[in-house]
Amino acid sequence: MKTNLLFIFMRRHRAATLLAAAVWLLLPAARPLRAADLPSLWKERVKSVVSVEFFTETELDRRTNIVAGVVADANGIIALPPGIVGGRVTPAQLKDFRVHLPGEPAGAYAHAEYLGQDNLSGWNFVRVEEKVRTKLVPITAFAGKASTGEPAMAEEVWGIGLRGKDEDFQPYLMVARIGLVQSLPERTAVALAEVAAPGLPVFNGEGIFLGVAAGGFGSSYLQYGARGGATPVMLMNVEESRVFILASEVTPWLGRVPANGSGRPIPWLGTYGLEPMDPEVAAFMKLEKQSGCVVSEVLEGSPAEKAGMKPRDIIVAIGGKPLPRLTPDRVAVRYFEREVDRHAPGDAFAFTVLRGSERIELTATLADEPKLAREAERKYFEKIGLTVREFVFGDGVVRRVKLADQRGVLAHFVKSSTPVSTAGLRADDWIQEIDGTEVKTYADAVAKFAAIEADATRTEFVLLASRGGETQVLRVKLK
Amino acid sequence: MGRTGPRVEIFSLRLVIGGEARLLSGVRFLCLLLALPLTVSAATSRGFNRLLDAVVRIDVREVSFETGVKRFTGGIGSGVILNDDGYILTNAHVASPRAVDLSITLANLERVKATLVGWDHWTDLALLRLDLTDLKRRGLKFSHADLGDSDKMQPGDPVFAVGTPYGLTRTVTRGIISNNRRSFEEGLGSINGYETGLFNTWLQTDAAINPGNSGGPLITENGLVVGINSRSSSGSAESLGFAIPINVAKRVVASLARSGGDGNMGSVTRSYLGLVFGPLQDLEKFYSLKQNTGVLVNSVDPGSPAAKAGLKPSDILLTIDGVAVDGRFPEQLPPILDLIANKTVGATVKLAVKRGDQASEYALVTEKLESRQGEAWAFEKWGLAVRKVSRAYARENQLTDVMGLLVTGVQNGFPAAVAGLGRNDIIIKINNETITTLDQAKKLYDALADKTDSVLIESQFNHQVSLRVLKPKP
Repeated sequence: MKTNLLFIFMRRHRAATLLAAAVWLLLPAARPLRAADLPSLWKERVKSVVSVEFFTETELDRRTNIVAGVVADANGIIALPPGIVGGRVTPAQLKDFRVHLPGEPAGAYAHAEYLGQDNLSGWNFVRVEEKVRTKLVPITAFAGKASTGEPAMAEEVWGIGLRGKDEDFQPYLMVARIGLVQSLPERTAVALAEVAAPGLPVFNGEGIFLGVAAGGFGSSYLQYGARGGATPVMLMNVEESRVFILASEVTPWLGRVPANGSGRPIPWLGTYGLEPMDPEVAAFMKLEKQSGCVVSEVLEGSPAEKAGMKPRDIIVAIGGKPLPRLTPDRVAVRYFEREVDRHAPGDAFAFTVLRGSERIELTATLADEPKLAREAERKYFEKIGLTVREFVFGDGVVRRVKLADQRGVLAHFVKSSTPVSTAGLRADDWIQEIDGTEVKTYADAVAKFAAIEADATRTEFVLLASRGGETQVLRVKLK
Repeated sequence: MGRTGPRVEIFSLRLVIGGEARLLSGVRFLCLLLALPLTVSAATSRGFNRLLDAVVRIDVREVSFETGVKRFTGGIGSGVILNDDGYILTNAHVASPRAVDLSITLANLERVKATLVGWDHWTDLALLRLDLTDLKRRGLKFSHADLGDSDKMQPGDPVFAVGTPYGLTRTVTRGIISNNRRSFEEGLGSINGYETGLFNTWLQTDAAINPGNSGGPLITENGLVVGINSRSSSGSAESLGFAIPINVAKRVVASLARSGGDGNMGSVTRSYLGLVFGPLQDLEKFYSLKQNTGVLVNSVDPGSPAAKAGLKPSDILLTIDGVAVDGRFPEQLPPILDLIANKTVGATVKLAVKRGDQASEYALVTEKLESRQGEAWAFEKWGLAVRKVSRAYARENQLTDVMGLLVTGVQNGFPAAVAGLGRNDIIIKINNETITTLDQAKKLYDALADKTDSVLIESQFNHQVSLRVLKPKP
């Protein structure tokens, strides 16, 4: 019997990023999990998990989110899985964090404060109010010795799942065996069945903390239609995961509580569009024992550019150490990005590139990453029907606009059936002029839109907006 | 019924009516079968009958490169014989440069070969020429049509469409001119990716036009050709047919005949400035303009002569070489584009432009108008179909250089697909040699295809660079 697991990296990339790895049903367990031990282990360890409910406020609605979190320390810090904030959802839109203890009445929650997202792990952190902290036990309390090493193949492991709000987030047990441990690039175990809710810990038979379950991994299935035809589909269990990142990797992450909501400082090298060097190409270049990353672009004004990096350089080593050979090859890109993320702005970052047949040693001084979309200023104009957002560095990168030509604002959100949407404006359009006058800054745009909204006699206005490199005049009729 | 199903390619056309975009799904390319001699009581003039004798059927065999291999496909269309020299006018979507065999069936049912003299996808017209030597040897005769004046056609004028809808030969349908100046703001889609329909307005008729009518003439009661039927709407719309005005065709035919023949593919050379216009309707007040003055520059192609000269979207173009332009309504835009297109390539064109309160004059040097579709080719042993990256494609996709080959298809299991190349990848380098022309790539391929050495290919997709190793089949 054989099962295929597909790893979905939540990244901007082509469909080909679905990478497969085979997992085999293996020998019987070496160290059986004893049912008799479980109740006492369970009772203590369930105190290191919580359910966190929060709301995402958008222009039009307020959405409820529920995620599972692990207790990071004795001061009420709780780590939540990645994927909560991004370009679309900003920290400011996250409201009303509520921490529910497993099995307690859902109405009896404690409040928590959002602390931000860590750049390296992607984890989000909240701090729960003092009154419940005594009921929580940090996951580090169950850490094994460093000598414990990695879980053995076929070892039986267990983890915790949480039911829904309507069931008071009752905790429940999941048990599985280890099928495979590999580097993605973190040391990651793949179990033969679901073993914990994403974000929750996994333990061994002695109750030692082994790692934290990760989401984003799907399995491939065939879906048979009524007429018999089979279509390949990928299914992802969002409530339970078979994959967990080992404690040796995640334990340091537990202490990476951001100093501020935006997760600053964020180290920045300024390479864009890293593509893994294909194994065949590595062989062609006589580099089959290692990985490499092809740099598509070196961003304007970035540390990489200042260090003398060129587009199409192939990164082959960091600090004189060749990039390890990682599979699937896309992992090499994550490995490199992670190595950058381990540093702080101001650090010297030495690396080696292959340019043609030449090996070149470069050293960049990492900078703090330019303002991100999630940090950009934004304002909603309800009558006109749009949210304008400050134009940030990354917007110039994706629109291929040189720094010198960057101006205007973005239409972050366009409400349907409003004057601007009828005029043809779409979300992510780049607004360059309002009423024939260039929009120089975000404040400039906000002032202009505010004036238009305030003027009851206005019948129309004109926008110059660009989408996909093409600029258009849009006439917006207000009446 | 027809022996072969008419070749029908469906695409969508956005008709803009009363300011609201309405989607007319499935306006089709039409192809028609032969119209045989017939008697029609409604129009028995000598001219009418003579016209019917000048309509031919065209059997086309053509090559396609879409899936990484050369494939041959067939189609049927129609045409009208224009003169005693054996020139035949048809649609560009009936006979294209991909055609490898053109067989003409005359009104007397005899078959004769023809060659493609010229092709103009912009107006959807193609010019063929009968093999006169063969005709002479076999003692065959043919008639030609007389052309009318499409500018004189008015809404309500009776017209006839001659063709073979759905393979029903000898079909003459009757209707009137429904609109003598139809325009499509978004253009008319494309002919296999080639732009079309920007430079002319259309004759719209309610004479029944169905798939199978394409390339056939739209005629008056006296048998004078006033249009070439090429489109109809399908789906829920009825009695909406569109013909290219014959006066547009006359100019195109002259260009194609002049530049084509003797192994050359005739074409119409047009000028390009990179200006995209929008109607000014309702915006006159905003721009402080008198009505019927100027045209709105809606967009400027990056890197085009207009962009280099500093023209910007929302500029108002007032005159072109001193000729006042009026682009108040969408119907008025094609003639303005045509006015620019008719300038000599490389000539300096003076534009009077109003920006805000400022009026200024710009001198632009025109470029040759090029299609966004580059020349296609298939590297069969690699299972790779490509197109040369065109200037327009490079512009649209914000590529820094006009170079490389756009992958249009790969064949599963063949070296290109195994190497990981896919549709829309752009091949930049082959074995570290930058590809700037298709011929250069063909030479490299010829030198490499039969060897077993691995080939290093640098490609990019969405600006992301990848290196790939292509292993030719042993």
